[in-house]
Amino acid sequence: MRIAMRLSGALLLLLAGAAASASAEQTFDREVAVQPRGAVDISNVSGRIEVSGWERAEVSVHAELEAGVERVDVSSEGGHTSIKVLVPHAPGHGGEVRLQVKIPQESELNVSGVSADITTTGVLGVQRLNAVSGNVTAELAGADVELKTVSGNLHLKGRGQAARLRLSTVSGDVRVEHGAGDFEASTVNGTLIVSLDSARSVRVHTTSGDVRFEGRLTHGATVEASTVSGELNVHASADGGYAYEVSSFSGAISDCFNASPERASQYGPGSRLEGTRGQGAGHVRLKTMSGAVQLCDRL
Amino acid sequence: MADAQAEDTRIDWEGTLVQRARAGDKRAFERLYREYAGRVYGLCLRMTRDPQMAEDCTQDTFINAWRALGKFETRSSLATWLHRIAVNVSLAKRRKSGPVEPLPEEEGAATKWTLETPIEVHEIESAIGALPDGARDALVLHALYGYSHGEAAQMLGIAEGTCKAQLHRARNLLRERLGVEVS
Amino acid sequence: MTSPPDNDARKVTSLRELPQSLEPPHDLWPRIEAQLTDIPDAAAGRATPARAGAMRARWLAVAAMLACVATGVWIGRSFLPGAPGSTAGPVSANNQVVPDLRTTAFDAAYVSDPRYAQQRAALVRTLQAKLAALPPPARAKVEASLATIEKAKADLEQALGRDPSNALLQELLVNTYQDEMRVLSDVHEASDPGRGI
Repeated sequence: MRIAMRLSGALLLLLAGAAASASAEQTFDREVAVQPRGAVDISNVSGRIEVSGWERAEVSVHAELEAGVERVDVSSEGGHTSIKVLVPHAPGHGGEVRLQVKIPQESELNVSGVSADITTTGVLGVQRLNAVSGNVTAELAGADVELKTVSGNLHLKGRGQAARLRLSTVSGDVRVEHGAGDFEASTVNGTLIVSLDSARSVRVHTTSGDVRFEGRLTHGATVEASTVSGELNVHASADGGYAYEVSSFSGAISDCFNASPERASQYGPGSRLEGTRGQGAGHVRLKTMSGAVQLCDRL
Repeated sequence: MADAQAEDTRIDWEGTLVQRARAGDKRAFERLYREYAGRVYGLCLRMTRDPQMAEDCTQDTFINAWRALGKFETRSSLATWLHRIAVNVSLAKRRKSGPVEPLPEEEGAATKWTLETPIEVHEIESAIGALPDGARDALVLHALYGYSHGEAAQMLGIAEGTCKAQLHRARNLLRERLGVEVS
Repeated sequence: MTSPPDNDARKVTSLRELPQSLEPPHDLWPRIEAQLTDIPDAAAGRATPARAGAMRARWLAVAAMLACVATGVWIGRSFLPGAPGSTAGPVSANNQVVPDLRTTAFDAAYVSDPRYAQQRAALVRTLQAKLAALPPPARAKVEASLATIEKAKADLEQALGRDPSNALLQELLVNTYQDEMRVLSDVHEASDPGRGI
């Protein structure tokens, strides 16, 4: 009886210990010296990835690991640094990791997450941020940026410095503030809300999501926006003016300069609005099947 | 001293990217493309005078560069190496599209390519674009991109004396076209 | 980098002041990168890193094919039996009907490039397994997006039925096929077991 009680007690202690280690969080810290303009690759399955740029030629990693995470691997060689979260392959056994990484501000940054939100601040180099279901928020600083997610939202905050910006989400929303340069964005059924301080080329596309664009176009800039059934609301001003073409199969077309759309064909449905604002240096083309379109040349 | 250090840092950064690109890292090669596309296109456009041909030339230059990365020595200038490839590509494209004009005979003198009075950039570019191919090639490499007579001649596959003669011809034609002394 | 010199009215006193760097009118990188994937790594000792590079190369090959869909495709109407959108797909774990993406007679009529058809068929065959590998909230959102695309295709085809030569509708339909391809490729890449793990 006493032996049985001791065994039960031991078993209880063992179970309690296992439960404790199952819920225990660990932290991981590592710093490595790196080249100031090298590449940094970060990947995490679940949790958060927060990257900030600093002036030191070092990468600093701080991770908070939930139970079920195997480890964090950090390696650096020949200008390339890799930070990788490793989890067991068995589904449902992986925990979350909150990764906080500081990198030399001029590094090229590549981040890949599955169910992980990604945030970057103070990174001056090229950024490629890729998530499956996480949200991506990035600060833009004059270098090219590529943001991609399947179901998450994309948020880009700039300071009006020109760069190449490519944003793509399947079902999330896209929001850009104070961007500039060459801009491409697409979503299937999310909403695109874009504000560019200056734009040289703009291509936006949705299937059913709405587009709200406002921006100042540089001389000779081009804007192309299309949607099947979403609404297009474009406010584009340009010093050199632009030629515009708006086509819709069954949606309404309106503008702020009192131009009236015409029928596209005397034999079938569809309407078109074409004309020139100012010197007509740039081009604005808007296309939709059934969504409403609004065009204005004032912000 | 600071300039030399900056140049060393730049070469190190480039060298790292070239090493990664040699190992098949296309992202690294893209960084090199972003850095040098403008310089390559600028050269291609002035040599071909056709934006579409210049884009094709730029594209082919980088594809050829990718293939030949194993031959590039990382301590030398990547910009010069890319320009060599771009010149070859431009010349090949031009050979396909038109006859080659005969070479000039007179020798040329050195010049700093200074204009007597300021002229608008677009007017100068237009005048350069109107030069015969051989004169324009030599002028673009020497006067715009700063290559020596010997380097420009080597890139163009001509004798150094011929290159100098082409430059002399370019100078005379520019003087006529722009109406100002080019010294 | 400066823009092409056609409109540059700055005055200079030396040819050396002319800009050496001129921005190409188009971003050439996608075309360059698509051709890089076709070039074998022939340099001695060159090793290809085993990262997401292989998947990215496949995605780029698809992107290059989308360019074929956009520019070289013949778009016509075929009146073969079977109306678009009439076949319902399997029901997913959260009771959402997954659109049936098997190639229909109408699909085949719109896209004549055999490489596109093969690539799409391969992605559709593995779609269910790939969706199952995604986190459940992501899976639900992607299924909703695919349903949106199917509806857009159906609406466009119906409109084209009334106005077959309408260039706007044809262009939007091609865009929608491209969207579908992009979603299928993104799902395929996102649920790849080698992805960051």
